[in-house]
Amino acid sequence: MIPNVSFTQRCVKSIAHVSWLASFPAGSSSVFCLVLLTVALGAQALTPSHHLSLSDVDRLKGLLSQPFTDLASAYYSIVGLSKLGASVADENDACQFLKAQLDPMSVDSLFFAAEASQAIADCEVSIFNETRDILLAAVSEDSTVTQIFRAVSALSSLGLPLASQEVVAALVARIAKEDNVLAITTALQTATRLSQQAELGGILEEIEDLAARLDDLGGVYLQFEEGLEATALFVTAAYTLSDHADTEPPLKEDQVIQLVNSVFSKKSWDSRSEAFSVACAAAALSSNRFHVPVIVSTQGPATVSHSQPILHLLVTDILSNPLASANLLVESAQAVASKSVVLSQAPFSLRNGIFELNFMASQPASGYYQFTVAVTGDSRLVANQVELKVKVSTEVAVTNMDLSVVDKDQSIGTKTSRVDYPFKAKGSFTADSHQNFAMNFQLVDANTGVELTPHQTFVRFHNQKTGQEVVFVAEPDSKNLYKFELDTAERKSEFDSMSGTYVLHLIVGDATLENPILWNVADVVLKFLDEEAPAAIQSKTLYMPKPDIQHLFREPEKKPPTVVSNTFTALVLSPFLLLLILWFKLGANISNFSLSPSSVLFHVGHACMLGLMYVYWTHLNMFQTLKYLAIIGSLTFLAGNRMLAQKAAHSKIFRSTIKHVSGT
Amino acid sequence: MSNSVISVISRFLEEYTTKTSNKLKVVDAYLFYILLTGALQFLYCLLVGTFPFNSFLAGFISCVGAFILGVCLRIQINPDNKGDFLTISQERAFADFLLAHTVLHLVVINFIG
Repeated sequence: MIPNVSFTQRCVKSIAHVSWLASFPAGSSSVFCLVLLTVALGAQALTPSHHLSLSDVDRLKGLLSQPFTDLASAYYSIVGLSKLGASVADENDACQFLKAQLDPMSVDSLFFAAEASQAIADCEVSIFNETRDILLAAVSEDSTVTQIFRAVSALSSLGLPLASQEVVAALVARIAKEDNVLAITTALQTATRLSQQAELGGILEEIEDLAARLDDLGGVYLQFEEGLEATALFVTAAYTLSDHADTEPPLKEDQVIQLVNSVFSKKSWDSRSEAFSVACAAAALSSNRFHVPVIVSTQGPATVSHSQPILHLLVTDILSNPLASANLLVESAQAVASKSVVLSQAPFSLRNGIFELNFMASQPASGYYQFTVAVTGDSRLVANQVELKVKVSTEVAVTNMDLSVVDKDQSIGTKTSRVDYPFKAKGSFTADSHQNFAMNFQLVDANTGVELTPHQTFVRFHNQKTGQEVVFVAEPDSKNLYKFELDTAERKSEFDSMSGTYVLHLIVGDATLENPILWNVADVVLKFLDEEAPAAIQSKTLYMPKPDIQHLFREPEKKPPTVVSNTFTALVLSPFLLLLILWFKLGANISNFSLSPSSVLFHVGHACMLGLMYVYWTHLNMFQTLKYLAIIGSLTFLAGNRMLAQKAAHSKIFRSTIKHVSGT
Repeated sequence: MSNSVISVISRFLEEYTTKTSNKLKVVDAYLFYILLTGALQFLYCLLVGTFPFNSFLAGFISCVGAFILGVCLRIQINPDNKGDFLTISQERAFADFLLAHTVLHLVVINFIG
């Protein structure tokens, strides 16, 4: 009736499903964003796949808090930590360090000290009269952009006056000369320190030009080929300048998200300056006036059930700080299997900084649901429409478990007994080759009574004595009633025809079940015909070394006995003797052999050629032979030509002489 | 019937021994030798099998080739055929014979394995 599909066929599907689910580590809030990345429903925007979780932020702070040895590392640590809202361990110590390390003649030194001291409260770096002059001298077309930036920043931090227009002119001139990404980014940063009345339009346009230079990697990442630090510094500069000039940065929403992915994908940083750039970028993106990317994540796995009916979501910025004014709304919740919309336009309620929704109140059936949630409340929010997959799990109950042994001829149950979970059937069931063993049961949702069809419904037979294990799949019919029938004669190969008592287990499992079932239902005695009694089961010997395979070399062909070949060799060579005899009889002789050099050379050469043939057979290859043949052959040819020409001339004279003689 | 065959044969033999020049008989003896060698090789192959088939082929083709070249030589140096080979002197025919044999031997040795 219902085919008992072999275990392995359904196994792959189950394993794939379960292993996919197992890939969700509990507690990782960034994983769900990863899942949703490439889901495209209509014009769905990109959502960030990476951000800084609280542990990432701590790690970043840790890297920046490492003890510093020079002004530059002090600057990165102090300013970086202040961007993250933290501070160095000992502020006084840091301040003393800055004052001690300061070299008032160096622009870089002044920059690091001035900026760092600004970040520490009550820390002032002493300045001399020459300081201003030194710094102002650095602001010119002849210094690099970095020098201009450091001078301008130092001047602004130390509260010294500077001429913004001059700086702009110098910057524009330098940008034209140094056309690389870092230089332009530094120029943008410089512009944030100038007065708002200065002509910053030209420099603002550089943001768009720089953005065009970003490399798009797979539509997910947008970064400069110069690396993470350059990208992070660009983000910081762009947003800081846009805030300063009160102009929205020319970056599209997708670009912002891709930049977020690039900057925050790396979770352990190589150097302090890299960590500093990431900290600045994070600060810029979480608190600028135009674009604030929002991260929606779950607290733990996104699963609801009757025992835990509430779905908890966290809405944070990229530093994992909760957003002050945000409202979360479910736009739609759609069942993945049936595509029916279960919930629409339902708001979340905020409690202790976590958004909650009682999803079980909508009485969803167990399974997966695709949620589309929207974050509202702030016009700056970017990527505020997020897709989530929520699992509704339930408990399963096995009901109406009937075991019976059916005769093949009559197909009337001779013995049907009902077994209740979790008890075992009282007697054992016997089935021989004329009978089938049958099992009927139903799987229902323990809470709602709805029939379920879980992924894994296996019937396992285990022979206690031989250790054999045979597993079948029980399949539901159209009314969701599970039937399993074992045809003893048909299936004997799976059991290796081993008769005996088999313990029967029912295994029920699914990703959406909270209580997978392994139930020892009964003992079944199976009797097979023509028992082969195979050797005690191969499971023991299955993993032992197998017998060695000896390589059989190709058998040489059968050769005739040496006697035969030798005889025939002699036989084949014998006609040569016959030839010599015949020639002798005919009177062929070499009396006309002229000993002229060409003749001798010809015969020697010819003999050499024949010798070369023999050597070719034994030692040489074709190329070598051709080489030697060419040499010997050409000599022989020349000699032979000479010899034959002489002969021709000689015989001509001879014949003409004869003619002449006979003529007269 | 057999009588006429025998008489034809004996007539042929008589004509052959008297009419053909010595030179041609020398070549004919050579051709006969080649024929025998080839036949014996073929007999061996029939009896014992073609085991080193390439060797058998090399030997057999060598005999066949040599026979053909010998026949060509004989045709070219036969004075009765002088009219057909006006441009080819006897020495030239012999030189051709040698050259062709060189190539034949090269190929045969290559193939004999």
